[in-house]
Amino acid sequence: MVLKLVQELFKVGQATVPYPFQPVELAPGFRGKPEYNPEQCIACAACTIACPPNALSMETDLETGRRIWSIYYGQCIFCARCEEVCPTGAIKLGSDFELASFTREDLTVRAEFELAACSLCGVYFASAKQLNHVLALLDQAGLPPAEAADRRALLTACPECRRKIDLPRVKPLAQEAFNDRLQH
Amino acid sequence: MLETIEQTKSGYRYVAALREQFGRAVQDESWQAPDQVTLTVDLNTLPAIVSWLYYQQGGWLAVVAANDERPLNGNFALYYVLSVEGNGSEPAQNSDKCYMVVRGLVPPYQPEFPAVTPHVPAAVWYEREVRDMFGLQPVGIQDERRLVLPDDWPEDLYPLRKDTMDYRLRPEPTTENETYEFLDIGDEELVQIPLGPLHITSDEPGHFRLFVDGEHIVDADYRLFYVHRGMEKLAETRMNYDQVPFLADRICGICGYAHNVAYANSIERALDITIPERAHYIRTILLEVERLHSHLLNLGLACHFVGFDTGFMQLFRVREKAMQMAEVLTGTRKTYGMNLIGGVRRDILKDQRVQTLKWIAELRQEVTSLVSILLETPYIVQRTQNVGRLEPQVARDYSPVGPTLRGSGFDRDIRVIHPYSAYDRVPWTTSYKDGCDVLARTLVRAEEFFTSLSLVETCLETMPEGPILVEDFQYKPYRFALGYVEAPRGEDIHWSMLGDNQKLYRWRCRASSYNNWPPLRYMLRNNTISDAPLIVASIDPCYSCTERVTVVDVRKKKAQIIPYKEMERYCRERKDSPLKT
Ligand code: SF4
Ligand code: SF4
Repeated sequence: MVLKLVQELFKVGQATVPYPFQPVELAPGFRGKPEYNPEQCIACAACTIACPPNALSMETDLETGRRIWSIYYGQCIFCARCEEVCPTGAIKLGSDFELASFTREDLTVRAEFELAACSLCGVYFASAKQLNHVLALLDQAGLPPAEAADRRALLTACPECRRKIDLPRVKPLAQEAFNDRLQH
Repeated sequence: MLETIEQTKSGYRYVAALREQFGRAVQDESWQAPDQVTLTVDLNTLPAIVSWLYYQQGGWLAVVAANDERPLNGNFALYYVLSVEGNGSEPAQNSDKCYMVVRGLVPPYQPEFPAVTPHVPAAVWYEREVRDMFGLQPVGIQDERRLVLPDDWPEDLYPLRKDTMDYRLRPEPTTENETYEFLDIGDEELVQIPLGPLHITSDEPGHFRLFVDGEHIVDADYRLFYVHRGMEKLAETRMNYDQVPFLADRICGICGYAHNVAYANSIERALDITIPERAHYIRTILLEVERLHSHLLNLGLACHFVGFDTGFMQLFRVREKAMQMAEVLTGTRKTYGMNLIGGVRRDILKDQRVQTLKWIAELRQEVTSLVSILLETPYIVQRTQNVGRLEPQVARDYSPVGPTLRGSGFDRDIRVIHPYSAYDRVPWTTSYKDGCDVLARTLVRAEEFFTSLSLVETCLETMPEGPILVEDFQYKPYRFALGYVEAPRGEDIHWSMLGDNQKLYRWRCRASSYNNWPPLRYMLRNNTISDAPLIVASIDPCYSCTERVTVVDVRKKKAQIIPYKEMERYCRERKDSPLKT
């Protein structure tokens, strides 16, 4: 028995790697630290709604018209739900797993966004970048100018004013699609 | 929910027999699935019905869920979930096994119910927990002590009642001292000599008290739940139903994925969602990968506790392959974050398949040789044979699960009894042993390890192509159903009821160890102290394990607390008894 075991041990040789003096090999597709690119982010909040442990959050200040997106890595479970729901690819999981830090601050990343004011009543109602993103999609759709203008008017109005706009001019179905877009 | 009864439903014959026997007590019948039925019965007849199903119809107690349904129907509800498997008088067929849920309503003006425990001992922890969490008094339970709530928790604050408290509330402690009363089996007061608090086996909190006569264990008592995390409340109040899979993962560091699948199944069943075939296979593969690393961990620990540390090291070395398998298949060393309601999130591609198959072949070869070395070590068999016996009758009374039960001669594996995922689509066989001892439980695990290897292999080779996730389903308020998985340590079961706000109204998740703890007392009896850590390790418990051991000598009327390191050392070396100080 002992002999067999010793044979087995010799066969194996060294099983460990000298981490941290040598990097460990990670599987492709390893889920590490979510990397965030504020340039691409349109502050739509989809990720903050999906994030199971609330590592992502969004604070909206309607007075100043600002919205702060933030991630606290201390709470992140590396599930990649954010990556899954992000419409612009602004957040993606990388392979970094060495996140230890002496301060909480080092584990927090923030980004600030401006809100768009309603074209009719002036109340802040949606992220400006998100609105531009949707308007750009509208331009690309190549609709007849009259219809495009209608839709633009709807999109730049806050939900309250939107309801007041003369709805019959717009096809109800199309409108639903807009609202959907705005929400996602 | 299907409202009608058809003869084709499995379980129909039990319902018919039950109606014949207890006709007027049955107030309502609703089917959640063709093999899942909930019967609302008269509260006073409930113990008789549960006990009849348990002992006359081959029932095993899976879980008891209480639910504060005052906002829905004015009452508290108790759900006794039994897996009814036939009494052997008819040819046993899979189609004849079902989950029967016996539901009783407890009116708020009289918050008590007749306890099932005096008839079916398996209910004891459940009914004590219902008292702690809901303030419903089980009438007829001898044990008046708290189970889950800490000793310094206020009276009259019942955390799971809907109107009690916010999940963030941490009430002020009501006392400075630990006031838990351990069983007193001598008649005079016992003296305690504290020697220092520490752990037994897996370094998790719990408090053991062993009653000994010299070196011989007469009885045992233990206090657990020091790290109750309030997950059920958290899920019900803070999370959306589709976020809960990620929380379910964190119930356990070992069988997290099993909980995740059990939860997802419960919701998928409640909402009548049929998930894609390929998703079933992927779930099966990951569940078995989880079993691989869990069983290797336990086999390793078994070596450690009998003082064979080289075996421990070697098993942990090969275990690394199972962990890497998880990393390659899921992106994390734990099989976390893989499910959504409706399927899985990540497909298994060719490279991953090839790599996994290669590791499977290596593991099979290496573990075969390690296990044979292990079993050829005479010492191992000596230390484990006839130690920590779980007698079949005790097992029958307490509904333990997994290898703990299968080591006592019961061929009971949820993967076969109530097949889920792809377990009824691929050929495989269960393992069980008659030894009733630590050795038998260890051998069951060793066999199951190899079964898991084959299961992963077969599934990888035969899984159908196609989608892995469905998303076109609707949240339907107040539906409820059971989800269950044979985790490495036994059945994990979840009872979930949806609310009306994208959340859960009630989530009852029960981990396998919950059913294995109560009978542990009987396994410890009639053994020597030096075997205690080994016996505890043989149920592979999830304490979320044990802080300290108090040994009470019943003859000398003396108690002493032994530090973990000392206890563990004694188990391994078996000399210089810590009691002789
Ligand atoms: S990976 Fe998961 S936990 Fe982390 S930020 Fe993204 S959604 Fe949140
Ligand atoms: S989902 Fe993407 S775009 Fe939207 S807020 Fe999050 S990171 Fe930004």
